[in-house]
Amino acid sequence: MRNVYVVGVGITSFSRLEFPISEIAAYPAMMALQDAGNPKIDHLYVSNMGGGRVNGQTALASAVVDTLSLTPIGAETIENGPASGSSAIKTGFMAVASGLCDTVMVAGAERMREVNNLEATDFVATLTHPLAEYIYGVTLPSLAGMFTRLYMEKYGVTSRHLAMVAVKNHANAMLNPFAHLHQPITIEGILDSPEALTNNPIVADPLRFFDMCPVSDGGACVILACEEVARKVKRPLVRLAGVGQATDTHCVHERENPTDLLAVRGAAAQAMKMAGIKPSDVSVAELHDAFTILEIAESEEVGFFKKGEGHLALERGETALGGKIPINPSGGLKGKGHPVGATGIGQAHEIVTQLRGEAKKRQVKNAKIGLTTNFGGFGNNVVSLVFKRED
Amino acid sequence: MELQVYGYKCRKCGQLHYPFRMVCKKCKANEPHGFDPVPLPKKGKLLTYTDLSTLPADFNVAQLTLGIVELENGIRVTGQVRIPKPKTGMAVRINIETVRSSEFGKNLGMVFTAA
Ligand SMILES: [Zn+2]
Repeated sequence: MRNVYVVGVGITSFSRLEFPISEIAAYPAMMALQDAGNPKIDHLYVSNMGGGRVNGQTALASAVVDTLSLTPIGAETIENGPASGSSAIKTGFMAVASGLCDTVMVAGAERMREVNNLEATDFVATLTHPLAEYIYGVTLPSLAGMFTRLYMEKYGVTSRHLAMVAVKNHANAMLNPFAHLHQPITIEGILDSPEALTNNPIVADPLRFFDMCPVSDGGACVILACEEVARKVKRPLVRLAGVGQATDTHCVHERENPTDLLAVRGAAAQAMKMAGIKPSDVSVAELHDAFTILEIAESEEVGFFKKGEGHLALERGETALGGKIPINPSGGLKGKGHPVGATGIGQAHEIVTQLRGEAKKRQVKNAKIGLTTNFGGFGNNVVSLVFKRED
Repeated sequence: MELQVYGYKCRKCGQLHYPFRMVCKKCKANEPHGFDPVPLPKKGKLLTYTDLSTLPADFNVAQLTLGIVELENGIRVTGQVRIPKPKTGMAVRINIETVRSSEFGKNLGMVFTAA
């Protein structure tokens, strides 16, 4: 296998974007091309989940490759639920590592705000089991609510811990110009004040409004290349050093221990093994906090903390900017936003920016190794990536 | 006739599954038609639940409680909870009723009530 490097990155604001989905993918791709000094691209991989259903645009990669005037190179669309972005990066990694391509572009896009929130939630809910979950009204927030209740009973996590994740990630998002939510929040405002139930209503008990990520439009892009190309690009050298992926039962109820996220554990362990590192070597992480509880649970499953102790590390400030292992300096899905098909590439964008030392006010000091975890379904398809600064 | 939800029992090793799958998760038997349908028990205990307030548009209610129940034989199922103040661990009964309807038809499924 050849080494694979990230030579260019680009991103849009995650918010509401009134552009065709193909342009939401193409804009960050142009930024990434400029960032990398306009290398010749061999293949294009486009990640997206809902183009066909939400935007009436199927075969998105065919539209994007032409929008970017990259024809006749090969291009395909990659759909793996909310983990589509990292799956596309994995595909690009395989193309370069195998020697099939020297340079590939991986662009992701989602435009969910073309429909209302209920339709967007229902669109994402179509990833659940059609007969054993979906027909009952099961949505991702409801699966997260049921998971949270178990986590609280078993490990002593409280609504206050969940609110601390939200407050931290909103504060980080304030430092990220691309983030969806630029809205500082306080524990007082969302939990303790007389207005808290109005400000922060219960949505999927025990989860409340501020425990959920927003519905976002957005796009992001990374350009991957072999060492020979990467050495010629005048940018700090960041290697995609580890790629891991694992799956779990389609129905959440079939999991032996319903508070385990075995696919997160498996994907992260594989990615770290390939990169030759252990959890304590990681200097910064972007985890999939579509719901606040997931940041806590994933911080345990990837190995930063013992199972059931993630909320204690959060209390001690270890996951804050400036803490022992800063998690979601970008604001995470909670603050930065969650355009599902682009989310994994957005995470990679943040880690590369951090490892290059270009994250400005949200820069993690001496960031040398970064980890992402991108969660498709309710933990049934998870991709984890490890990046290393190498020069 | 009482309505019934079925689990799927592997003809080779006896492992029970819900919902249906094509290959046995235990012994990996992959013969076509390798499972016998077996009626699922009508009693179990509530493992977890959530009161959900943002529902897909075809539900004409403001709130719905969803839950996961472990049946007497250890099989777990997801369904709707119709219990005013549910508690985890409580005994429930499984009823088969309409759980979702739209202009295209109705879905029958499991509704949990207090036992
Ligand atoms: Zn079997």
